[in-house]
Amino acid sequence: MRKRGGRGKSVSKKKEEEEGERREREIKIPKSRLKPHDRKLLNTPAARHWPPYPAGPPLEAHQPNEDTQTSATDKVRDILLKAREEVKSVQVEVKEIQLECDLGNLVVSDNNTLPQSTLRNSDECNEYLQSLARDGIQTLITKVWDLPTERIDNAVYVTLPKPSISIPREKKAPVEKPLTKWEQYAKDKGITKRKKEKKVWDEVLKQWVPRYGFRKVQADKEKNWVRVVPETADPYEDQYAKAAEIKKENIAKNEFQRLRNIARNRKVKLPSVGVTGNEFARPKDLLRAAQHAKHATASLGKFQPGLKGEKSSKGRGNKRKSEEVATMDIQQEKKRNIDIFDKIGKPDLNLDAAMYRQVKDDNVEHDRKKKGGKKHLRRSKMGGRHLTPSDHRSIKLGKGIHNGPKGKSGKGRDAGPGNKGKGKDRASLLQLASKRGATGKIIMTAKKRKKFSKR
Amino acid sequence: MPVVQRVIKPRTKRSKRALEKREPQLVENTKQCLFFHGLKTSEGIRECVKDLHALKSQASLKLQQKNKILPFDDILPVERLAVKHDSSLFCMATHSKKRPNNIVIGRMFDHHLLDMVELGVENYAPLSEFKNAKVAAGTKPCMVFCGTEFEDVTEFKILKNLLIDFFRGVEAKEIRLQGFEHALQFTVFDGKVFLKSYRILLKKSGTRIPRVELEEIGPSMTLQMRRNRFASNDLRKRSLQQPKQQKANKVKNVRKDPFGTRLGRVHMTKQDIGKLQTRKMKGLKEITKKTKKTKGRVSGDEQMETDQ
Repeated sequence: MRKRGGRGKSVSKKKEEEEGERREREIKIPKSRLKPHDRKLLNTPAARHWPPYPAGPPLEAHQPNEDTQTSATDKVRDILLKAREEVKSVQVEVKEIQLECDLGNLVVSDNNTLPQSTLRNSDECNEYLQSLARDGIQTLITKVWDLPTERIDNAVYVTLPKPSISIPREKKAPVEKPLTKWEQYAKDKGITKRKKEKKVWDEVLKQWVPRYGFRKVQADKEKNWVRVVPETADPYEDQYAKAAEIKKENIAKNEFQRLRNIARNRKVKLPSVGVTGNEFARPKDLLRAAQHAKHATASLGKFQPGLKGEKSSKGRGNKRKSEEVATMDIQQEKKRNIDIFDKIGKPDLNLDAAMYRQVKDDNVEHDRKKKGGKKHLRRSKMGGRHLTPSDHRSIKLGKGIHNGPKGKSGKGRDAGPGNKGKGKDRASLLQLASKRGATGKIIMTAKKRKKFSKR
Repeated sequence: MPVVQRVIKPRTKRSKRALEKREPQLVENTKQCLFFHGLKTSEGIRECVKDLHALKSQASLKLQQKNKILPFDDILPVERLAVKHDSSLFCMATHSKKRPNNIVIGRMFDHHLLDMVELGVENYAPLSEFKNAKVAAGTKPCMVFCGTEFEDVTEFKILKNLLIDFFRGVEAKEIRLQGFEHALQFTVFDGKVFLKSYRILLKKSGTRIPRVELEEIGPSMTLQMRRNRFASNDLRKRSLQQPKQQKANKVKNVRKDPFGTRLGRVHMTKQDIGKLQTRKMKGLKEITKKTKKTKGRVSGDEQMETDQ
């Protein structure tokens, strides 16, 4: 892979800059302004050979009013003198230890001892450092100019050799990906991949239909506007739902196989249950995981050995106390047994909870039956105690809240204790609650108990 | 316990390309650098980080928020940040009474810390102080390392390697001859490292090779080495390993004529020339007497049979 260094500017800007530099270097004496013998002087060998890039400022244009002959020669002499001064050598003073150049990285190493006095002196320090740097860079440039060059796009490129100073890599060397189960099978059987066209000619629709992607579903719908129910199938079965179900399963299966391939590649054994280690888990999460593991023992983590400095969590959960039946009083034991029997018969009733639960269920059902179904569900988890703005408005107006078409199963918004208006009152709810129980499920009623006892 | 990493399934082509870019590659991408602050910074160190970020603008990212990170206590948050932004170099700036104007420069290998050096910045002169034309951003700099400590003392040796890694930019195989614009100088003296940045001016000399003139442009600072955490020898060895595919394959049995013709040498197994497969020419086939006789007899017999 070819990587080119250089300026980060755009091409046009570079050209402008180059031109600007060139302009600066050239001495602009318009030839038209010179008299003929001046022009001749300009063509003399001495003048012709002066370097075109003196570092000094460009000379002013020749003034025709001045005494031309002497000033022209003087000017030429001045130019030559200046140019000669500007030509400095490319030589670098010889150092004790030669400078090492790593051309691949463009690094110069100067291992000579530095003069302590000059560096301690803050005035001389900067100048000395600059001269050191200049020497180093000059050596580097000298070596670079000797490298083989290439000309690409009107620019001269130099090919750098391999770097001598080895820099560590960013990531590990890439590992060859092992073949998936299908790829291995295909390789063994000699099955090659054949590229399929995106568009397929469909005889039924008489047009080119995409095989996948954009507009595929539409095309499918057009084609399969009717679905034939197979003879063996149940006539009331929803074929469309069935097809959707099958498609979902296929996607899930595909995903599962993909993940299985990845797991096999990474040689990771996934546990079916439990907490898996995570490199970037927070210490809080890891602590919780450890606590869970510890707690899942018979003694609820009380007698588990811990690490040094590990904080033991306070007792979580109540351990089942062993019954002290032998030490109990007869009266106590009798009372205990009767309590148990009572509990079986009569449930522990939390009336308010039951009421709210009932109300909530009814409200949710009502919402569901409404047009649009679930979308218009606006019941919160507060079990029907939540009143919407329209409810508040109607209560204020004293109209009560609109009940659904079916009287009793309508909205029981004002079912909470102390609310006016229609709807379910406490008594009826109590009845219901007694039938249903705190969990909302219908359990043993007195009648039923009698029935069973008879048997 | 097995480490289960989340398997990200790319949903778009663009995300797929981004994921592939982050995978380990034969020829690696340019190392990205991440600049961020600790909980407390001073104005000076903020300027310093800003200038360094400008220096490496093509391959660096500067985070704005303050982070409660102490790299020498717990490197994990830094590693996480580096993984998130796919950067293997980082530079963190902090300031405290004990360690004023502190920067921690470090590099990662395989998403884990390789080397880390804490440097104190003194006598900082920002870019704005040098009022002259600067170099274009993203130019590959030439680096000069002065001082014997860079070769003798191991800490400075590793620091040199780290600094080259940090500032070198793109790994270029070819460079434009006019592209030598930026020079960085690191001098070790009295246990301190002087960093200076120059602009290279190539002047015409009498010869083909240009004369180099330097002009100081960039930030100049004195770095004091504080704490460090360097990699163990085997980790360093692993990080320097190059993939086998990159090794140059020897080309054998091919040579070039003085005329420039490419000649090769092919080694063959022993061949039985008598049994070589050549072109078949039917006319040249040997017709033996035996074959002639059998042909004639068959036809004759058949005829005789039919007649009867």
